[in-house]
Amino acid sequence: MFSRPWALILLVLLVALVFWQRFSTEKSQLSRTALLMGTLVEIQANGDDRELLETAVTDAIAEMSRLEQLFSTHIPQSEINRLSDAGTLQVSIETAELLTLGQQIARSSQGAFDMCLGNLKRLWDIESQAPKTPSEKELREALRGIGPESLQIEGRQVTKQTESLRIDLGGIAKGYAVDRAVEILRAAGVLSAAVNAGGDIRLLGYRQGQPWRIGIQHPRQNGEVIATLMLQDRAVVTSGDYERYFEVEGTRYHHLFDPQTGRPARGCQSVTVVAADAASADALATAAFVLGPQKGLALLEQMPEVEGFLIAADGSRLTTSGLEDFLEWH
Amino acid sequence: MALGSALRRLTLFDRYLVVIFALLVVVSFLFPFSKQPGARVVVDADHRTVYTAPLNENRTFEVSGPLGDTRLTIENGAVRVLSSPCPQKICIGMGEAHQAGDLLACVPNRIVIRVEGQAEGESYDLLSR
Repeated sequence: MFSRPWALILLVLLVALVFWQRFSTEKSQLSRTALLMGTLVEIQANGDDRELLETAVTDAIAEMSRLEQLFSTHIPQSEINRLSDAGTLQVSIETAELLTLGQQIARSSQGAFDMCLGNLKRLWDIESQAPKTPSEKELREALRGIGPESLQIEGRQVTKQTESLRIDLGGIAKGYAVDRAVEILRAAGVLSAAVNAGGDIRLLGYRQGQPWRIGIQHPRQNGEVIATLMLQDRAVVTSGDYERYFEVEGTRYHHLFDPQTGRPARGCQSVTVVAADAASADALATAAFVLGPQKGLALLEQMPEVEGFLIAADGSRLTTSGLEDFLEWH
Repeated sequence: MALGSALRRLTLFDRYLVVIFALLVVVSFLFPFSKQPGARVVVDADHRTVYTAPLNENRTFEVSGPLGDTRLTIENGAVRVLSSPCPQKICIGMGEAHQAGDLLACVPNRIVIRVEGQAEGESYDLLSR
């Protein structure tokens, strides 16, 4: 072999390189889906050790399933439902951590994000076959006692300040579970992965040496992408009025409620937030949506390591100052 | 000069080898070995694959879940949910899936629809919605 001319040796190496590049990525990609937390969860992991990927992804899905048992309002004995029923409860570390983060964002957004809208969501019952538009009196009653200070959190001891309050972690729990899944993957030695829970996405490392390309759903053109973000090691969450809604006489009633009025917020079509973790991105996307374009943009600008863009109700686009380098409009 | 000298030192066997390797490189770029364009639709119900079909053949079909039958259609290279027994119809509102990695799901009826295989001109790796 080594007596051959260098050109031939070089050619052999070139061919080997080309084939290695074309086939090696195929072997090392693993993708799994699961129906969890009321949505479709997909985990993609990339790496050379298939067995390690299998174990890590299985463990990550198991962790998300465990967290669903803590946070879901659809599971009667979940920790959140027990807290809503009891008034005071010594909760798990995870629940305490999540509630503490949620309360910080509730305060930063002056109550635009609220974890105590359980009664309001039950009243609208937007996921049922017969959702209804409540009266003003019903709305006032459902909003009684809500606000950033409605929960007192001391370590793992959580107390509701108003007995009738019901906690609902929609708008933060999914993001938190995504974060935990990514931590499981990272701890197992996975260097490249993406966890996507119904559009709440967190990225670990790069995808095949390049930033991940995250398409953002167009809020008014089904199946179309309005923008692409090029990111790594970041979380991306989009909240929009097109996700869950019903219509009565041409008016769209969606699931992103303004805690001040108890009615769907009207200022935006969608909000996309990029942050270091998915729980914060999740809650901030809801808060910015509720605040509307100008105040929502101001909220995102004031948060450290947070970027995002808002599509206002009239279709205009507002972008935070640090996003331009990663954003491509379509 | 060096190249000319190197080429002169090649035996006939070496030259055949060079041509074969060069062809392999060209072919590897012209034809994707791993995934075919014109991806497939794969439908899972309750964690079991119950239906697969090419994405480039128009058809309408039904898949059963715990709530009843979810009706799907493949049309013009995209799959979407036509009707569903679930209360909120979010799966219908999700619209079309057309590129590799795209996912649709009816969570209440435990049905997951995904597009596998690589289509040309993919513009994103994941979709935030």
